[in-house]
Amino acid sequence: MTNPSNMNALSQDEMQRFQKLSNEFEPDVPGPLVSPKQSSHAIAMEYANADPTFATKTSALAITHPMTRIMKGDGNCGWRAVAFGYFETLFNLRDPMRVQRELDRIKSLNTLLDQVGQQEELYEIFVDATEDIFAQTLTAIHNGEQDETFLINAFNDEYNSSAVITHFRLMTSAWMRLNPHRYQAFLSPPLDQYCSQRIETVRTEIDEVGLQALVDGVIEGAGFGVEILYLDRSEGDSVTPHQLSPNCPNGATIRLLYRPGHYDILYQPDPPPVNMAPIVNFQYGMTSNYTPWDQGALSFDVNAHLMSIPNLMADSAFGGMGAPMSPLSSVSPAPQSPYRVSPPHDLYQTPMQSHAQVQPMPPVSAPTPVMPSAPPPMTTLPNRSEGPQIRLNPLVMKPNLSHSLPVTSPFKNSPYNQAHFQNQDFEPIHWEPHGR
Amino acid sequence: MGSQKRIAKELAELTSSPPEGIMVELADEANLFEWKVYMEGPEGSPYENGEFLVKLSLPTGYPFKPPTVSFATKIYHPNITNDEKGSMCLGMLRADEWKPSSKLSAVLEFARQLLAEPMPDDAVEGRIAEQYKNDKKRYEEIAREWTHKHATPA
Repeated sequence: MTNPSNMNALSQDEMQRFQKLSNEFEPDVPGPLVSPKQSSHAIAMEYANADPTFATKTSALAITHPMTRIMKGDGNCGWRAVAFGYFETLFNLRDPMRVQRELDRIKSLNTLLDQVGQQEELYEIFVDATEDIFAQTLTAIHNGEQDETFLINAFNDEYNSSAVITHFRLMTSAWMRLNPHRYQAFLSPPLDQYCSQRIETVRTEIDEVGLQALVDGVIEGAGFGVEILYLDRSEGDSVTPHQLSPNCPNGATIRLLYRPGHYDILYQPDPPPVNMAPIVNFQYGMTSNYTPWDQGALSFDVNAHLMSIPNLMADSAFGGMGAPMSPLSSVSPAPQSPYRVSPPHDLYQTPMQSHAQVQPMPPVSAPTPVMPSAPPPMTTLPNRSEGPQIRLNPLVMKPNLSHSLPVTSPFKNSPYNQAHFQNQDFEPIHWEPHGR
Repeated sequence: MGSQKRIAKELAELTSSPPEGIMVELADEANLFEWKVYMEGPEGSPYENGEFLVKLSLPTGYPFKPPTVSFATKIYHPNITNDEKGSMCLGMLRADEWKPSSKLSAVLEFARQLLAEPMPDDAVEGRIAEQYKNDKKRYEEIAREWTHKHATPA
């Protein structure tokens, strides 16, 4: 008791001590700020004994999105997931010009910061940190680095991580303040107060409105989509997807797994080799074009069996695909009739032509009746313009998935082989998520 | 590193164009993270004519962690602890409310403003806060007395 004359000295001291402890409290969360990619099965394991809804959804998730990256739950996970996902997506394109363009674009957003009264001498160090990561990305591309280890390291540096996140926060805040009409209706406090207390602070977790603004103001300009997969107790057998960037249907997509209060990053099966990256991105975009992720997988199966129908493929339809397909043709060795000529290892290309439309069922010799187990998919088939999403489904390209995904072996034998529908591996998982 | 670059800039600005009633210098020329701030009591407040030595400490995580402000000069004020630490409790300095885009000069101006207008509802010294609300005259007397006793330049 430092002040015996004060009747309340003890409790005052205690109160102060508690207040101080409370102010300084930082949850002791283990783990790195950004983890390496790891199997999504770990998430399924976590929930194995939980509520059946979670168990079902997480096991389905482990199939559709086999890899995940865990963000430290320190109040910045959502911000960090998007910022990391942004750089990772950019790096994966391996396009130095694009990196440079993005760097210029992000730097140009400084004008937004200036417009809302942020002072350059205060924010420049955050921009510096972001620029540094752009530079590292360029270097990594030039050096032909295979993986994103450099990014993981950069984001695990406390200072870098905080600085980049602060930069993203400030850009988001400026964007919101300059476009209040887009967000005020969704906020209970006045927008300025919201930005000041929820966006610009150091460790306030991002909420839906902030995330939308981050996507609108910072990410969308890159042409990247952002999709959230909600893991909650809602009905259904799969996580609920939500597309935050409807204006970017064709870009690469950053996928976030949301569990109440926490964000991580999710990955669909490995994309094909680097030189095909643009195509894959195109496909990702199509997949996420308002259609739930599981439909992406679903339509693949549909096509798998469509492809087995002789002559179903109408080559003319390929021409009808229009401009978006053009990048594909350059890598497709035999776009005209891949089913007939492609050896098995060309399967990567073939799905493309299988624009799901069943249109006039062609002279089906025998096969169709053999498909009793064919799921109800026709109604959910994407329309023709979405055809390409089937073609490039990355599941096909993931060799080690072949044991769980039926697609490969039947195809290996022959695309004409209808028998694969009876393959007992076939039935599975794919149809489950929809619970039909 | 970025932190030091920023601190150096903020210090330079505070030194070249200091806010009213505030003077800043490094406690130790070799250490950017510890500042000595001389703060004049605001006119019209019971702290008028007092000169208060305030310590500003910047954490290594600055600007992602807030600075701490403490009064080395004893002061009678609801928002400043009445002990040898003299800690000032400012909402904007709490870890979860701190904004890395805040400016140290703004922090110091805010601190000085707090001398002019205490915030009894956010007090660390409950007894002084109560007195401030219920018996302002007496509060002002004591504050003035303390200012005279502890904060008057020799």
